[in-house]
Amino acid sequence: MSDLAFTAPKKAFAPAAIRWRTMITIAWRMMFHNKLKMLGTLIGVVFAVVLSNQQAGTFMGLIKKNTMFVDYSGADLWIVSPSTLTLQATKPMGISALYTARATRGVAWAEPLLYAGAAIQLPAGGTEPIQFVGTSAPRFAGGPWNVVAGSRESLMRPNTMIFEDSERERLGGLNLGSVREVNGTKVQVGGITWGLLPFGPSFAFAEYELARRMLRVDQDQTHFVLLGLEPGADPEAVKKAIMSRAPELKVVGREEFRGMIISFLLRRSPIGITFGTSTVFALIVGFVIVSLSMFSAVVDNIREFGTLKAIGATNGDLAKIVVTQSITFALMGSLLGLAAITRIAAAIRSPKLAVQLPPQMLLGTTVVMILMCVAASSLAILRLRKVEPGMVFR
Amino acid sequence: MSASTKRVIDARGVIKEYGDGSTKFRALRGVDFHAHEGEFVILSGPSGSGKTTLVSILGCVLSATSGQVRVLDEMITSATEAELPKLRLAYIGFIFQGHNLIASMTAQENVALMLALRGWNHVDAQKEAARLLSLVELGDKVGSLPADLSGGQRQRVSIARCIAGNPPIVLADEPTASLDAQTGQLVTEVLHNLAKKRGHTVVTVTHDNRIYHFADRIVHIEDGVILDDKKETHP
Repeated sequence: MSDLAFTAPKKAFAPAAIRWRTMITIAWRMMFHNKLKMLGTLIGVVFAVVLSNQQAGTFMGLIKKNTMFVDYSGADLWIVSPSTLTLQATKPMGISALYTARATRGVAWAEPLLYAGAAIQLPAGGTEPIQFVGTSAPRFAGGPWNVVAGSRESLMRPNTMIFEDSERERLGGLNLGSVREVNGTKVQVGGITWGLLPFGPSFAFAEYELARRMLRVDQDQTHFVLLGLEPGADPEAVKKAIMSRAPELKVVGREEFRGMIISFLLRRSPIGITFGTSTVFALIVGFVIVSLSMFSAVVDNIREFGTLKAIGATNGDLAKIVVTQSITFALMGSLLGLAAITRIAAAIRSPKLAVQLPPQMLLGTTVVMILMCVAASSLAILRLRKVEPGMVFR
Repeated sequence: MSASTKRVIDARGVIKEYGDGSTKFRALRGVDFHAHEGEFVILSGPSGSGKTTLVSILGCVLSATSGQVRVLDEMITSATEAELPKLRLAYIGFIFQGHNLIASMTAQENVALMLALRGWNHVDAQKEAARLLSLVELGDKVGSLPADLSGGQRQRVSIARCIAGNPPIVLADEPTASLDAQTGQLVTEVLHNLAKKRGHTVVTVTHDNRIYHFADRIVHIEDGVILDDKKETHP
């Protein structure tokens, strides 16, 4: 050993940045040193991410199915019957609503819409329900969209309808030109849509007049009126103007109508509770796995933590180690879990089941995972506070 | 010995009690202990005599029940819980019987960790750690994990970590207990040099009478009382 003059150290205590860096290094070294335990914790996070996103994504998919018509319609405002709670006409309203709307300043266009259940006769006998939509040519506000065979304009031909591709087999093997009987009227298939499958029977479109006759709606009545606004028009002002001239009507914006539909769905069906419970369950299971894994990792390394305390690390420093590990687990687990769920969602995607994974939800999941993992590490941090540095001498 | 007269450790009337009521046990019964700069002191005594308790109190990892302990200019017995880690960092280097290295970190990182806690930046800490490992003749083992080192090598890494940042006091707890005779001798020589060549005050707890001849003083403790405190005469 070389001879070095001893100099008394200054009372050194590392600044926060250096302490953080040091603790982060220790945290990662400890994590990656025990790969089996790291894998166990990661599985917990990945499980929570995949299951919670699968449940929430399926729920969002169902919501989208219920609101897709409002989203696709392109209408800025909807005139609905005052008793309307969701996209189901409670009772027809007077067609005068259409003319009131067309005469209102700020309205670029207004079209009537019929929306009701109907039945299609199958070739082999029996019937199947369809969601019948009567839409006004030539604007076709209210559909059809995503026409993959035939054309939308085919609806302008007499007794012609457009059906959904994913339900063709169920509807008796429909093809372009097939003839079927809907509500007692023979119609020909003039087009096929793809993906227009709501939470219930598939959409089937007819031109408004044909639909009105088939649904037996009086000429002076309609189910909904769809409005498009002129550029720069104030939706609230238009709503007020229409309702002041026809107080018996209710005018709602697109987002408002979506909100009504979602609210109706959550209140009147168990899907909110069902999917919500599953999502919370996934998070609880993930929380428990991460919490136990991190606690166990601390117990396994208790002597090392005691050594760190003995040589000058504080309780705060040890907490930094555990928090760093928990955030790292959350980020790694979220990355792996989100990669897995997006691939799963893509693999099982179909018009009947589309798991919706909007970017906000993916980002939200990562934030929730970080919070979950940090919360799960609190048990480990409490354990570390009780570690006595003197244990290193025993 | 050539120890200066500067008193680095000065403990007076130290009492340490564990438990309470019928389970109360007095591990130290009014111990007076001191050590000077550059002095190599061995604390000896049978198991349960109180020597490890005394070293723990001197090392600021355990609070005394009563009495006074001064380290350089600091009265550590009046320090708060929050101040103790700072005092350890400022004054104390530890060498443990079981080495107590961080298993997931290399030899260099284990030493650099001590420097980082003492406020060194990353680059300087890494360089200094490599230099200190060379001092204990482990310059070729900087990248090795503790599991890849022999017991003696691990203890030398532990010594390098202990002196990283140059603390005035080195407290060693049975540093040769898990080593063979030859390696134990080597490690003790290193500790002796810390005192004689670098000026550290080295207090070593040991049962190993093969290394007594290195000591400036041997303090014998039994039943929580110092029975003997004698200067060694070296040829």
